[in-house]
Amino acid sequence: MTRRYFIGYFDHEDDILGVSKAVCKAGFSVADVYAPYALHGLDRAIGLAPSKLPWVCFLLGLLGAAFKVWFEFWTTAQDWPINVGGKPWNSLPAFVPVTFEVMVLCAGLSTVFAFFFVSRLWPGKKPRLLDPAVTDDRFALVLEATDATYDPRLLEGIFQQFHVVRVEERVEERKV
Amino acid sequence: MTLAGAVTAAAGLLLAPQRTWANLLLACLFLLGLGLAGIFFVALQYATGAGWSVAFRRVPEAMSAVLPYGAAGLLLVLLLRPSLYSWTESLPGDPAFWFKRLWLNYPFFLLRSAVYLGLWILFSRRIVGLSRRQDRDNDVRFTRSNIRLSVLFIVVFAFTCWLASFDWIMSLEPEWYSTIFGVYNFAGLFSSGLAMILVLAITLERAGPLRGYLTADHLHDLGKLLFAFSTFWMYIWFSQYMLIWYANIPEETNYFVRRLNGFWEPVFILNFLLNWAAPFAVLLHVPAKRSPGMLLKIAWTVLVGRWVDLYLMILPTFAGKLPVFGIWEVGIIAGAAGLFFLVVLRALGQAEIVPGNDPFLEESLHYHN
Repeated sequence: MTRRYFIGYFDHEDDILGVSKAVCKAGFSVADVYAPYALHGLDRAIGLAPSKLPWVCFLLGLLGAAFKVWFEFWTTAQDWPINVGGKPWNSLPAFVPVTFEVMVLCAGLSTVFAFFFVSRLWPGKKPRLLDPAVTDDRFALVLEATDATYDPRLLEGIFQQFHVVRVEERVEERKV
Repeated sequence: MTLAGAVTAAAGLLLAPQRTWANLLLACLFLLGLGLAGIFFVALQYATGAGWSVAFRRVPEAMSAVLPYGAAGLLLVLLLRPSLYSWTESLPGDPAFWFKRLWLNYPFFLLRSAVYLGLWILFSRRIVGLSRRQDRDNDVRFTRSNIRLSVLFIVVFAFTCWLASFDWIMSLEPEWYSTIFGVYNFAGLFSSGLAMILVLAITLERAGPLRGYLTADHLHDLGKLLFAFSTFWMYIWFSQYMLIWYANIPEETNYFVRRLNGFWEPVFILNFLLNWAAPFAVLLHVPAKRSPGMLLKIAWTVLVGRWVDLYLMILPTFAGKLPVFGIWEVGIIAGAAGLFFLVVLRALGQAEIVPGNDPFLEESLHYHN
């Protein structure tokens, strides 16, 4: 199966934001945008749904907190009760600081790992770059040529409005 | 509302003097807290060179106009009813209290109060005055001198707010002490102040004057601040509670024992439901922080929570075994609210609603987060 990609390179942040908005409006679907740094407002410009990472963070934080409360209860009240200053075995106020820390740890680490997992990043992974320039000073917009409505001339017209530097078409063989 | 409050207060002074004086103290501290939060917010924006908040800066500026009124009320309470503070009559003779005997003497106490109040009013007048002059003279110089003033004010505020909390609230129970008390009062003061900024800004946006200036992005950031400071309040609350609970020293635990006995306990729990649990649960979600309606509800919750918080700091000393709530409580706080809105609306009318010549205004109007 072959896939055809249509790529435009741009020099300025305003241009890449503008062109992303314009092609979305014209009905094309954006495959990806490459930029040397995080662009504010790009997610809205290419119509990405809000990230689901906060939910991962929230649920795993909750899980960490629940686990820690149970663990503290088990260690201090069930398995080996310890008398600390005459307090009851299961003294909740004493559990709060550690529970809080473990919750933050679980939430933080799991968010980072969930992010790596969904963006398929791991040590030793070979980077697939369009062009080394996108790590330095250039922005690239990638569109996939999918169906009959796809029209390269119309696309080039839009690209011209936003001072495109270079246009490229790539055909990729992909093993399915 | 102000008149009704004044009438209630006058009647209360005759019928239930101790409770009314305590409630007047509460109302004055509430007003002073809102005024201080306003000027502290403005100073924070200047000191950090923040641009986002300029579009609605006139709101916290106007809030600081309430400081002289709160100060006058508080000085009246302190002058006319020193017996609210039991140490004005006698202090325990314990040798451990030597410093308290030195610190808590009535003339020095009044002098300190006057100094705190004077400094706050002086700084707020100056900062707000310079900000308003910029509307006419269009000179960046005013922004520069306000940055210097603001930095100085933040330092002064840190010390005076801390000491004032000790003097006016903590010394109501002179045998009890907690070093974190000043921070605790500051946390409540600032989170209720942010809630009041939200209430005023959203109302002004709906009524017209701020329409087109106040955006969802501004609300989002104010919402984040409210979320953060209500959580900060809970953090400090718990820090104070846990150390006292753990150490279990009678003269310290006495404070919480009194507030956990019998029917005080529901009020005690209500305090952190209103001030933390509700804002935390609701504002965790992004759309809530961008929705004016939801923010308005949460802001009012926090403002009621601030009243409950101050009530729990002050009233248990006077009310005895049962929490009291009636005409004296409602009337006086309603009167204070009326006075507050009267003063703030007048202050808002005295200047342009948006500081048109501020160098950061453009940034604020195009702010995205």
